[in-house]
Amino acid sequence: MPAALVQQIVLEAPLADAFQPVIRLIIGGIAERVDFGFEEIDDLQLAVERLLAAAGAEGSVRLSFEVGDGTIRTHVGPLRETAIAEALQGPAPPPGELTLRRILQTVVDSFGVEEAADGRIVVRLEKLKGVR
Amino acid sequence: MRATSERRPGDPRAREQDRVLLRRYHEGGDTSARAELIERHLPLVRSLARRYAGRGEALEDIEQVGAIGLIKAIDRFELSREVSLATYATPNVVGEIKRHFRDKGWAIRVPRALQELNASMSGAIERLTVRLSRSPSIGEIAEELKTTPEEVLEALEVGSAYSTVSLSSGPAGEDELDPLETLGAEDAEFERSEDRAALAPALDRLPAREREILRMRFEEGLPQTQIAQRVGLSQMHVSRLIRKSLATMRDELA
Repeated sequence: MPAALVQQIVLEAPLADAFQPVIRLIIGGIAERVDFGFEEIDDLQLAVERLLAAAGAEGSVRLSFEVGDGTIRTHVGPLRETAIAEALQGPAPPPGELTLRRILQTVVDSFGVEEAADGRIVVRLEKLKGVR
Repeated sequence: MRATSERRPGDPRAREQDRVLLRRYHEGGDTSARAELIERHLPLVRSLARRYAGRGEALEDIEQVGAIGLIKAIDRFELSREVSLATYATPNVVGEIKRHFRDKGWAIRVPRALQELNASMSGAIERLTVRLSRSPSIGEIAEELKTTPEEVLEALEVGSAYSTVSLSSGPAGEDELDPLETLGAEDAEFERSEDRAALAPALDRLPAREREILRMRFEEGLPQTQIAQRVGLSQMHVSRLIRKSLATMRDELA
């Protein structure tokens, strides 16, 4: 994404279940700005929702959205739950196994794990308009 | 959902067929008879559900709640009763629907305008998907419904929070039969998983229809629109079932 065209939105929210609908609503609002379709919005919301569910329910999480032309790049973290990194970076799950990795593979266009301070991780999710 | 043969309420032959099926289920444990009873009486559920349409919840969601009442009625029916199954099931179905509205607190917590917007959303998405041959944007849905994108987003969120009941949420018990059990024929691929660290054990406990929807989405990679066509539900409903199923699986592992 050309830096000049990218706008950034940063949100820090509790991981508690009660705040998940708020996060979904905000993602919907951001995705609407880049004209994502209903299903694309739903995909991105699901990706973040599943990731946060894997991250636990205590503390808070930082979500950063880089919004470009038909693209949303989301960074979630730093997260303490390093098992997420193993789940996302390990070998591809065999057919028929429904893991977090398979869910992300299906609903976003790319994802990755970046290292943060204190051994924590940041998960990157990228969703493009009109690709899937 | 399979087509259900036309039958008139009060038809003595239909009533006798019901009793034969009830006997097969209650005395012989024949779950296929139970499935047939469910299917035979789904038109009754639909008819009763229609009375509660327009109260802020999609008709198909109300029908699904009503189907739970039907299943309970079939399970609780005592063969010594002189009443027909339809007569016995009616208050069960209506009671289940009323309980649903009461428990969800929809009417008191959600502004009426938002309820109505949510109820009309599913149809609008279906119409636009056909018209545009793709999933509509929020702006397009808003235009179709003559409202703002923000209100559409809010109504969608309200719907996903309040409409999580599955047709498969029947009475508790491991060998419950899903009313849409017939959709579960293709789930063998998912069931092969032996990795206990993955979600497979929880997946096994999902109803057949939900397993099948997850398989189509995450194994075949089908978009929600195609899944919706295959299983005969709205795209919004497929979306909710996917979310709910994944959340249920996660909760079971927690």
